Amino acid sequence: MASNPLILDEAVGSSQPDERDAMRRTARRDRWLGLASFGAMLALWVAVTGSGLWPPLVNPTFLPSPMTVAQTFMKLAQSGYQGHTLAHHFLISLMRFGIAFFICIVIGVPVGLLMGMHSGVRAVLDPPIETTRPIPKLALLPLFIIWFGIGELSKTIVIIAALFPMISIAAMQSVRGVSIRKIQAAQSLGASRGMIFWRVLLPASLPGIFTGIRVAVGIGVTMLVGAEMVATSDGIAWMALTAADFVQTDVVLVGVLVMAALGYGLDQLFQLLERRAVHWAGRD
Amino acid sequence: MGIEPVALALAARRGAKLAIDRVSKRFGAAASAVQALEPIDLAICAGDFLCIVGPSGCGKSTLLNIVAGFERATSGTVRLDGRVITSPGSERGVVFQQGALFTWLTVRDNVAFGPRALGRTQGEAGAIADRYLELVGLSGFASRYPYELSGGMQQRVGIARALANEPEVLLMDEPFAALDQQTRELLQEEIRTIWRRTGKTVLWITHSIEEALFLATHLVVMTARPGRIKASFACSFSREGDPLIATTSAFAEAKRTVVGLLRRESIEAQRQEVVS
Repeated sequence: MASNPLILDEAVGSSQPDERDAMRRTARRDRWLGLASFGAMLALWVAVTGSGLWPPLVNPTFLPSPMTVAQTFMKLAQSGYQGHTLAHHFLISLMRFGIAFFICIVIGVPVGLLMGMHSGVRAVLDPPIETTRPIPKLALLPLFIIWFGIGELSKTIVIIAALFPMISIAAMQSVRGVSIRKIQAAQSLGASRGMIFWRVLLPASLPGIFTGIRVAVGIGVTMLVGAEMVATSDGIAWMALTAADFVQTDVVLVGVLVMAALGYGLDQLFQLLERRAVHWAGRD
Repeated sequence: MGIEPVALALAARRGAKLAIDRVSKRFGAAASAVQALEPIDLAICAGDFLCIVGPSGCGKSTLLNIVAGFERATSGTVRLDGRVITSPGSERGVVFQQGALFTWLTVRDNVAFGPRALGRTQGEAGAIADRYLELVGLSGFASRYPYELSGGMQQRVGIARALANEPEVLLMDEPFAALDQQTRELLQEEIRTIWRRTGKTVLWITHSIEEALFLATHLVVMTARPGRIKASFACSFSREGDPLIATTSAFAEAKRTVVGLLRRESIEAQRQEVVS
């Protein structure tokens, strides 16, 4: 979450330089600790694989060294894997995720808001969403393949099936959680229903919607791996899964790292968007 | 200088601006229903600053919610200038205890919200907002967000926002209850100044007897649930210029009278809490 107590301090005129310095020092220390933790994991990887410095402690077939993985990354980036470049695999995966994600937001958020604001809509849509929610959506993939074929459609739909309920329910709960006081305040200021929606309900729901979206990003990347398990010949998860069949552990690791970077990058992107768009979140 | 018993029922006063006509409220269904308000009869005239004090749970906030149009009375009507109130409206400005500001809007846009809702242009509404922010002493904070302000400043924004629509009546639901003593006293003085300057009709709910005595022209004491009017007074302290009026013996004597009335009701309210 965006934490900026500095602004608050300035506004109420109770800024205490000592305390602020201490907070800044703590923040800096924690950043270094984070980097150090990351560095330690990398060092451990270097150590157990030898990395050319000493004989590997584990079989390189099971765990290649970071250097080998880096070299494989470069090789894949240049000459591709099984007929497609690494960029192609990456972009096709991003596209599958992106289309499903986009549809979920564009339809899921309004549907959720409607459910939150209108008990009739909620009564109609809640049972199908609630009863299907516990079903692991990947288990439905074979069914989707029968229904929608082995092309892109079934993959998109399985991701949508997983993300749509999460996003719409987050939107529903956010709008239902809007303080009655704020709505009453708007009413007594003479606001029309449209104005209450656009200038009170929607902005007040945004922080909760963003939280739902960020959870959905994580799940979405997971779903991508499942969706690319069958009936594909490209995609970053497909690359990793196929390479595993040939015990090309270095390629598997490249795939895993690229997916991790994808998930992390998307999360950072949405965190940034969140900080910009809903700077007031959690500060009521 | 002091308080004097006075009849504030509709029959006793002429030319009520806000007429609360045998308004009662019952919550829940038949058997388990709770009578929150016994029929309340109250006339508030133009320029009155009427404070209602009562023990917690006595229905004083319910009464304000009915006047604001947020809740329906079980029986009786509320009329503003003769028109029956059925829903919230911009001629009744409401200030809440806390948490009612639009956190996503700047202070200026919070105050401009009402004028915008009533069809003013962005520019006009902004100018109105700046005027009222000056009135409450927040000129330098127009571009800030509510969460950047202290509790007292947030309440000033709430007051400016309610005033910006130039409502006929101001309804205040314990607006200072969440503030610390010093801030509260400062704001009480300021609200008195603003009231004198604008001549608004005010209905003010509070559980603080001092606040009520300091601000009110009329003071209503309510009983424990089911709430009804136990006593009503005309009150003259708010017309005095002395900011330290609360330290005078006349004030202490008036407070003694009201505390005496409220004490038994508060004990009854406590007992109800234990039982329920």
